[in-house]
Amino acid sequence: MSPTSPLLTPTEAWQPLPAADWNEAAARHLLQRIGFSATPAELSRVLADGPVRSVERYFAHMPAFPKPSLIAKLEADGPELYRRAANGSAQEKRLAQQAARERSREAIFDLTIKWLQFASRPEHSPAEKWLLFLSDVWVVGIDKVRNAALIHQHQDYIRKFALGSAPNLAKLMSRSPAMITYLDLQQSKPEAPNENFARELFELFTLGEGNYTENDIKQAARAFTGYRQRQGEFVFARRQHDNGRKTVFGQSGAFTGDDVIDLVFKQKAAGTFLPRQMVGFYLSEEPLPVEQTATLGAWWAGTGHDLRKLAVKFFTSRVFFDPRYRGGYIKSPVQFYLGLLQDLDLSVAPLPRQLIGSLRSMGQTPYDPPNVRGWVGGRSWINSATLAARRQVIQALLHPLNEDQLNGDEQIELAAAYADGVTNFTLDETRLAQWAKLPPADRARELVHRHVPGLAGTELERQLTRFLERSARHTAAEAATRAGLATLLESPNYQLC
Amino acid sequence: MKNPAHLLPSTRREFLHYGARGIGLLAFSRFAPGFLIESAHAQAPAPEKDRSILVLVQLAGGNDGLNTVVPFADPHYRRLRPTLGLPANQLLKLNDTLALHASCTALHGLFKDGQLGIVQNVGYPNPNRSHFRSTEIWETGSDSNETLPTGWLGRFFDNACTGTPKGGDPCGVNISNEVPQSFLSAQQHPTFSLPAGRNRRQQAENLTLLEQMVQNPAGHDDHDNAGYLRHTMMDALVTEKKFQKVLANYQTTASYPGTPFAGSLRNVAALIAAGTATRVYYVSLGGFDTHNNQLNTHANLLKTLSEGLAAFQADLVAKKLDSQVLTMTFSEFGRRPSENESRGTDHGTAAPLFVMGSRLKPGLHGTAPSLDVARNQDLQYSTDFRAVYSTVLDQWLGCKSQAILGADYKPLGFV
Repeated sequence: MSPTSPLLTPTEAWQPLPAADWNEAAARHLLQRIGFSATPAELSRVLADGPVRSVERYFAHMPAFPKPSLIAKLEADGPELYRRAANGSAQEKRLAQQAARERSREAIFDLTIKWLQFASRPEHSPAEKWLLFLSDVWVVGIDKVRNAALIHQHQDYIRKFALGSAPNLAKLMSRSPAMITYLDLQQSKPEAPNENFARELFELFTLGEGNYTENDIKQAARAFTGYRQRQGEFVFARRQHDNGRKTVFGQSGAFTGDDVIDLVFKQKAAGTFLPRQMVGFYLSEEPLPVEQTATLGAWWAGTGHDLRKLAVKFFTSRVFFDPRYRGGYIKSPVQFYLGLLQDLDLSVAPLPRQLIGSLRSMGQTPYDPPNVRGWVGGRSWINSATLAARRQVIQALLHPLNEDQLNGDEQIELAAAYADGVTNFTLDETRLAQWAKLPPADRARELVHRHVPGLAGTELERQLTRFLERSARHTAAEAATRAGLATLLESPNYQLC
Repeated sequence: MKNPAHLLPSTRREFLHYGARGIGLLAFSRFAPGFLIESAHAQAPAPEKDRSILVLVQLAGGNDGLNTVVPFADPHYRRLRPTLGLPANQLLKLNDTLALHASCTALHGLFKDGQLGIVQNVGYPNPNRSHFRSTEIWETGSDSNETLPTGWLGRFFDNACTGTPKGGDPCGVNISNEVPQSFLSAQQHPTFSLPAGRNRRQQAENLTLLEQMVQNPAGHDDHDNAGYLRHTMMDALVTEKKFQKVLANYQTTASYPGTPFAGSLRNVAALIAAGTATRVYYVSLGGFDTHNNQLNTHANLLKTLSEGLAAFQADLVAKKLDSQVLTMTFSEFGRRPSENESRGTDHGTAAPLFVMGSRLKPGLHGTAPSLDVARNQDLQYSTDFRAVYSTVLDQWLGCKSQAILGADYKPLGFV
C-alpha cells in the first residue's frame, strides 16, 4: 500500500475492484467513505457480500424519512401566519413575522435533530450521506429561505430523485420553492430576468465554470422567467414568462426552463461535473486526472445521467479503492459527529442548543451553508478553533450529562427520550467499567481496535498502553480509560478516514 | 521517552532550541504554527501594563434579575412574587429601594468598596424568549429580527487582533462547553478552549499522550492532510502546554471556593498573572433556567457567582492586576416578573448585569424597571445591551464600537 502505486489508466480506473483486492481494509474504506463509520455489524456484512452487492443494497432506494412534527405543524399553520405577516395591520404584521421566524427556527432544529438521528443508523448512513452530497450541490440555505418547511421540502425533492435521473432532479430543483426563493426566481420577469438561478445552474449545479458564456446565462435566465412559489407550491406564471426565442449553447428556440435543462445535459461537461463533485466530496481534495473523469463522464452520459448507476459505478471502482486515496480524507463536522456516535454506540441527544452549537463551532451548521457554493470542505474544516470544538464534542460525549445545567425545555426533551427507552447519549459507563478491568495492553488494543481499527498494532497503540500503565499509578482505571479514549479520538488520526 | 513533560516546546525560544537540535516537527514552513509566522515587530516587548482585559461571565439559562437586584420597597414586587418575594430584612441593601439577594454577601462587599457596578434593566427591542435565539442575539449583538454570522467579540478580534498576539497566545479564551458564538469572526484568529474547573494532574497527562500521538502518528502520514492536521494541532498544543504549565504552577493567596466556576476563574487569574497576551476571557455558569421551586436553586447559583467573582477580584487585587481587568456578566434574558404556579419563573426580558473592576465607576447605572405590569406581562428594558458593549469597546478595550456594532450607542459611563 503505497501512494506511489502506478496510476490506473482511464479504462482500468472504472473497472470493478478485482476480488483479490477485496479485504477488511477495503471494506472499512468503503464504509467510512460511503457512510460515516465502519460499525462492526456492517463491516462483517459488507465483507461477506462484497462491494457490488453492498453498494447495490445501500442504494436500492432512498429510505423514507418521516416528516418531523414541527415541520408538519409549520406546513399546516404557515400559510395563515405568512398571510397575516403580509397583509395585517402594522402591529399584526410584526407579531406574525416574529411568530413565523420563531416557528421556523424551532422547526429547523427539529429537522436537524431528526435527520441526524435518522442518518446515524448505519443502514441509512450511505443513502443519507448521498443526500447530504446532493444537497451540497443543489444548495439552498435557511438564512435566505427563512422557512424551514421549504428547506425540508427541498430536501424531500432531492430524496425523490437522488437515485433517479439527474436531468429530472434538475427540473424538480428549478421548481423547488426554496430554490425559487434562494436564487431569486420569484422576482424574475420578462422585462427584468434575474440571472442568479441561471448562473448557478450552469456554474455550481451542472456544468462548472468555463463551459458556458455570459450570453448563455442571459438567454437561459429568460427561459426561467415566470417560475414562482406561492405558499410553498410551485406556480408557473404564464404571463410572467418570456415566450420569445432564446439562443443557448448555440441552439435556438422558444425554450422553457426544462428545455434549457435538456440542453445542459447534452453538454459534455454535464457528464463530468457531478463525478468531479463526487471525487471532492467522497474521495480526495485533489481532482482525479482529467482523462479518468472524462471516461466516467462519457459512460455516465450514456446511461441518461442515471444517479444510481453513477453511484454504484463509483463506489465499486478500482480508482475508488486506489491505495493513494485511503486514509487521507478529513472528516467533515457532520461525518465526525455521526461517526463518533456510531463508534461509541450512542444516539443523537435531543438537545438542539448543544448539538447545533457544537456543529456550528466545528464549522458546519446543517441547512445553513456559508453561501450558494456550499461548504468548501477538506482542510478548510480544520483550524485551531474548530479543532478545539471537536475536542469539546468528544469530552461532552465521554462524560455523563450534567442535567442540572440544562434548561427546562431540554430536561423535558430528555425525559421524553428516556421514556422512549433511549438513554445512550453519552459513553456507556458499564462498558467503560468493563474496559477498565482489562490490563493496560489489552485495554489499549480494545480501544484502538474498536475506534481506529486501521491503526491496530501501531505506535499509537503502544503510546496508549504506556499512558494507561503510567496512569494506573495514581488514577482510577475508569478515569484513565476515559482520558485515553478521549485522547485517541482527539488525535490527528481520528480526524481522518 | 526520557522526559515526557518536555516533548513539546512551550515557548518560541524552546521551540527554536529544539528545532535547532533536530526535533524538527514544526519545521514545515507551509503550515507553520502561528507563533512562527508573526511579523518581526511582534517580538518587541508588548505594552504589558496598558493592555486592558475583559472577562465575560455568561449566566446561562436566563437569570432572575428581580431576585438578584431586588426592588424590595416596591409593593408591586410583593404582588408579583407572593411566594418567591424575598423578605426585606434578609436582603443586602444597596439604597432605599434596591437590595442584593442574601447570597451575594461577597458582591455586596465589593459594591460598598467601589469595585462593583450594576447596570439595571438591560435588554433589547422586540425581545425573544427562546434560550437559543436570545443567546444568539446577545452573542452576535444583532437586532431581534436579524441574524449575524459573527459574534461581537469575534468582530473585535477582526478589528483589533492583526496577526497573532505575542508568543502565539490566543485572542480569546473560553472556559465553557462550546466555543461561544461571541467569538465567531470573519477572519481566522486563534482562540482557545479550556475545560471548566480547576486544572488537574490527569489533564496534563492526557496532553502528553496527545502530544505523542501528534508527534509520532501511526500510519497515513504520507498524506498531506495528515501533515496539515498535525501542524495545526501542534500549534494548539503549544499554547495548551504553555497554559497547562501556567495553571499547574499558579500560586495565589486568594481563597477560591471549591466550585468549578471558581476553579475556572482561578485559571483565568493564572493566565492573566502570567502575562498572557489574551484580552478576552469567557466563562460560563449554567443552571439559571429556574422554572420551578427556584428559591434554593437560585440562592445557590448566586452564592456560586458571588463568591467566585469576589475571590477572583481579591486575587487580582493581591497581584496588583485589578486595574487591567474588567469583569462583566450577562444572561440571555431575565425572568417573568410574576412567578408561575410551580414556585418558579418563566422566560422574561430585561435584567440587570454586573460589572466588576477597580477602574470602573461603581454603583447603580441606568434606571430600574417599572414593575407596574399586569400578570404575565414582561419588563420593558431601559438600557440596550449594545450600549453596554459599546461602553466596554470604546472606553475599556479601546476599539471603535461603531465598527463592531454597526451603530453608535450612547456610552453608559460605568468605565
